[in-house]
Amino acid sequence: MRWLAGLALGAAVAAPFVLSSDYALHLAVMACVYLILASSLNLVMGHGGLLSLAHPAFFGAGAYAAALLAIRGAPFLAGLAAALALAAAAGAAVGLPALRLSRHAFVMVTLSVTLLFQILALNWTTVTRGPMGIPGIPLPALLGVTIATKTQFYYLMLALALACIASVVVVTRSPAGRALMAVRESDVLAAALGINPLRYRLQAFVIAAAWAGAAGAGYAHYISIVDPSVFDFYWMESLLVMVILGGPGSVAGVAAAAVVFTAVPEWLRVSQDLRMVLYGAILLAAILFLPEGLSGWLAARRTARALRAEQARA
Amino acid sequence: MLEQHLVNGVILGAGYALIAVGLTLVYGILEVVNFAHGELYMVGAYAALSLTLAGAPYGWAAPAAVLAVGAVGWVAYRCAIRPTLGRPYEAAILATLAVSIIVQNGARLIWTATPREVPSPLAYQVVEIGTVAVTSQQLLVLGVAVAAFGGLHLLIFHTRMGRAVRACAQSRDGCLMVGVDVRRVAAVTVVIGGALAGLAGVAMAPVYNISPTMGTGAVFKAFAVVIIGGMGNVLGAAAVGLALGLLESLVGGYFTLTARDAVGFLGMIGVLLLRPQGLFARRVRA
Repeated sequence: MRWLAGLALGAAVAAPFVLSSDYALHLAVMACVYLILASSLNLVMGHGGLLSLAHPAFFGAGAYAAALLAIRGAPFLAGLAAALALAAAAGAAVGLPALRLSRHAFVMVTLSVTLLFQILALNWTTVTRGPMGIPGIPLPALLGVTIATKTQFYYLMLALALACIASVVVVTRSPAGRALMAVRESDVLAAALGINPLRYRLQAFVIAAAWAGAAGAGYAHYISIVDPSVFDFYWMESLLVMVILGGPGSVAGVAAAAVVFTAVPEWLRVSQDLRMVLYGAILLAAILFLPEGLSGWLAARRTARALRAEQARA
Repeated sequence: MLEQHLVNGVILGAGYALIAVGLTLVYGILEVVNFAHGELYMVGAYAALSLTLAGAPYGWAAPAAVLAVGAVGWVAYRCAIRPTLGRPYEAAILATLAVSIIVQNGARLIWTATPREVPSPLAYQVVEIGTVAVTSQQLLVLGVAVAAFGGLHLLIFHTRMGRAVRACAQSRDGCLMVGVDVRRVAAVTVVIGGALAGLAGVAMAPVYNISPTMGTGAVFKAFAVVIIGGMGNVLGAAAVGLALGLLESLVGGYFTLTARDAVGFLGMIGVLLLRPQGLFARRVRA
């Protein structure tokens, strides 16, 4: 597995030298955005066992925060920090009441939060300019270098994505991550061991929200305009396909699925509506036939093969 | 003006109640939140549109559209709910969410995203009662809601099927033990819940413009109503739906339309903070 990760990293770093067209580079940048979103959602959904539909809300909140600061002349890093902080605060404000609810109600509330944020962005026109959005977000500058080309944006977003994936790995291997997974398996048993379910779930929820905010900040600078479509359910649908087909709880599986499902729909070249229908069908098929995603399916096959080999030897 | 807002609110609330009752009924019996519920409302409206465009008068198109929605509800049950019964809770949610995505975007492919108007002769007949003016179509929404709740009550408390539904709500294992066909009860519940949403769509379509995303807005309100009313509590959902309609109408009349859309959500947040189990304790069961 380790050499595979090394290979993927090498390929990611070398990508701009191989990808010739501007369009392919654009997809690579979007793949990094999706890597951040899907990996952070995986922490909540896969490791935490919490189906949250609020991820586009935090993504959009980060995008708006970064955009509003940048057009007022704030440096990129300040905007990024503000996006992280705002998304994390929103995550805490949503998570604290919502995580105390039944699991079903939690899902309903998180969906409502995304819808509410979109309503807010559409109607709070004095700040967000409503459906017109905020255009003209300046190019970010880091350490005196202005990030202007697609290749530069790609490396910026790749760095963010790698940091996000690294943080997910660190969290899941830490005692807090173990506690989170124990809570996923059984919150009653975990509570009996002295683990406070709410605390670890809230931690994971806030960390994931913060990363979604960071992705939003990067995305806003990249496309240079933010409008209420950042809260569209389209994002959530893609993320669900990525996490579920990648295998909830599998960092590598979700990362691979994020890259694949950024590229595949572009190659299919179908209209947006038809693409959504296809994604819905893929999602439905995955839930019915591959409940643990492709990585779970592969793991089950490996186990079965090892078992057969064992029996053949005996 | 106050009377007018109150009357409008009751009619709006009757629509909300119709949608929310179907959602909470399915949850109360199957412990499944049907995320495709809003799409059934939308399909009802579009089925009515297609039938009237094909030349059927509204009086014929409306019941036919409700039947069509029932059929769609049954397909959703077979594809998404039945295969996920007994699986972890998120399987049913994700499966119904996938159905919702397919139906909503399929509708956009068929009927395009442009908002449409469903023609109904009742929409232009204005009835004046004192200082209040309502259209016959609005009265129809109210009448349909009252009739639907009456029918639901009869079905659940005075038929054999209804007894099986109530039994399933109490204990699914117990039902299996005494030979109640739980899958049939589940199918009936989902179809009835869906048909109620479809009924709301058909009745309200001529009052408001329709669009493929109308289901999302409806389910947003219905979630708030169901959570405030206590999940699975049918009477709670009906009462809160009516109250939400009234409140929205008043807020929309005296404040801004934006504030109106936030009422349900703020109510939901308030209830979640103070009474996470809903206003009416979780006493399911019709």
